[in-house]
Amino acid sequence: MKKIIGVILAAVTAASLLLLPGCAQKTGAGADAGTINLYIWTEYLPQPVIDEFTKETGIKVNVSMYSDNEEMLSKVKSSSPGTYDIVVPSDYMVANMIQQGLLEKLDLSKIPNLSNIDPSYLKQSFDPANEYSVPYRGGVCELVVNKSVVTEDITSYTQLFDSEYANSIVALDDFRIIAGIVAMSLGYSANETDPAVLQKVGDRLMDLKGNIKILDSDSPKTSMINGEASIGLMWNAEASLAMKDNPDVKLVYPREGNTLFLDNLCIVKGSKNIDAAEKFLNYILDAKASAEISKVYPYLNPNTAAVALLGDDYKNDEAANIPSEIFAKGQYIENVDKAIDTYNDMWAKFTS
Amino acid sequence: MKKLTRRGRVIPALVTVSPVTLWMVLLIGLPLLYVLFLSFMTTDGYSVVFQFNLLNYAKLFDPTYMKIYLNSFIIAFLTTVFCVLLGYPFAYKMARAGGRKKVLMMAFLMIPFWTNSLIRLYGWRTLLAKTGVVNSVLQAVGLIGQPVEFMYTRGAVLLGMVYILFPFMVLPLYAAIEKLDWSLLEASSDLGARRARTFAKVTLPLTSSGIFAGAIMVFIPTLGIFFVSDIMGGGSQQLIGNLIQTQFNAGNNWPLGSALSIGLIVLTLLLVGVYRVSGGKMEDLV
Repeated sequence: MKKIIGVILAAVTAASLLLLPGCAQKTGAGADAGTINLYIWTEYLPQPVIDEFTKETGIKVNVSMYSDNEEMLSKVKSSSPGTYDIVVPSDYMVANMIQQGLLEKLDLSKIPNLSNIDPSYLKQSFDPANEYSVPYRGGVCELVVNKSVVTEDITSYTQLFDSEYANSIVALDDFRIIAGIVAMSLGYSANETDPAVLQKVGDRLMDLKGNIKILDSDSPKTSMINGEASIGLMWNAEASLAMKDNPDVKLVYPREGNTLFLDNLCIVKGSKNIDAAEKFLNYILDAKASAEISKVYPYLNPNTAAVALLGDDYKNDEAANIPSEIFAKGQYIENVDKAIDTYNDMWAKFTS
Repeated sequence: MKKLTRRGRVIPALVTVSPVTLWMVLLIGLPLLYVLFLSFMTTDGYSVVFQFNLLNYAKLFDPTYMKIYLNSFIIAFLTTVFCVLLGYPFAYKMARAGGRKKVLMMAFLMIPFWTNSLIRLYGWRTLLAKTGVVNSVLQAVGLIGQPVEFMYTRGAVLLGMVYILFPFMVLPLYAAIEKLDWSLLEASSDLGARRARTFAKVTLPLTSSGIFAGAIMVFIPTLGIFFVSDIMGGGSQQLIGNLIQTQFNAGNNWPLGSALSIGLIVLTLLLVGVYRVSGGKMEDLV
């Protein structure tokens, strides 16, 4: 046992020694005119699209990646200005970063391709004049059902509480989304902060406990595909894949609406190469580039010009190409300040 | 003169020990101190507010959390019991087995251990799912009509825990049993004791240090591991580990997460303390 631990320790030491110089190295060449540093979600922007940009403009792009908004926020806050030029925060995180003064105001005259974007995805609550952000990709938390098991029409979240669906729902392990959906089923907003309302939402959430079989944010599609669950609440990209693998799985749109997300391209305050960064933003909003991205990652593409270029594969993929009226009816998950603690407690009770 | 000799003794010791010490201080000591510091802070719902308070520690006694602790203790206790019941015969056989067989048994124990535990748990999921291998076979031979819900239950969490932590029980047990002086068993038998009596009066007391060490090595990690209950329990069987993880992610309450972590560390130290006081040796835990 001691020997094994010794070997592991030695390996970890060696690995970390190799990594240390990497950490110390600055990603950007600072004021170098031809380089920008992009910080984006994993599996979100294909490399060939970036290479094409470099070929056209001569601007080099360093890419680093993150897998959640909070991780990105803490990196941006703790690194020196210019380390990251472009980030891709979700809706509520845009609001948060604007509030903390972390984003640079955009010169929209330098981003003419913004006109490609469907106006229904512009001027959202988190950045009402698009002063700081332009939309990149979006989606909703979809409600999917397995039609071979669930025979009745599901038209409302309230039906999810029915006792006949005991132990049959797979849902995202995300308390804001699930509590939000419960609130919506009661006619409240997904972002309530009033303690009395949250009390009711919390009580109602407990009624759902017996029906939720699995909480899984990593791969909820699996449980829909293999029949483990007959009702699912999951991101649209997961729903799209579940429907491809199991033809019994269908989308349904509850009358209360869905919870939304919209990820946005932003320039970080203190960027040393705003010109190049704006060129990059404009390029990503270009119809052809945007269509190329959608071929690889079939999220909701708010770029009308790009969608026109895309084939039926995208247009017929209901879960990727979400109807704009669904999006207009949906609700973003917003910052709830200190009320987050109440949601947190609600969830602890729900999962204990 | 005296000073010199002291320095003469200190320097070589410093050279050999300091890399490890430096490693421990930098990568374990300092982060832990930061966790301790954070546990007295608060948040404004988004980022940490540096304002000393004890509210996080008061929160540890919340009735909901108490329920989660209790559930964690039950799972940890049952995991330990099952690990002993299954691990003892295995370790005993392995200690008594001859050369090749012993190597083989050790290999069976250690080779799965080298595979990432997440992958092994997903393997269980494939086996035990509603449409999984076990259910399909049972249905095919007509033993059951409807698929049995094995997954996403407390039993599944327990199975996952026992499976992941089994080697941590067997290794200390094996070390203790191997040291056993077999002639004592012969003596016991010569004096007329039956096998059960010999086991109860000789073998068990002489190997109890192994059981004790193994129990510590299983019980404590069970409280902290969060991925087993996520994967096998479907996230609805929250344990202390999950509670802490939530605070650092979605809950965005690092101070509370830190306080919970400190609570768990204190508990661990208490358990190790009990172990030492009742005669356990620290070397057996390594």
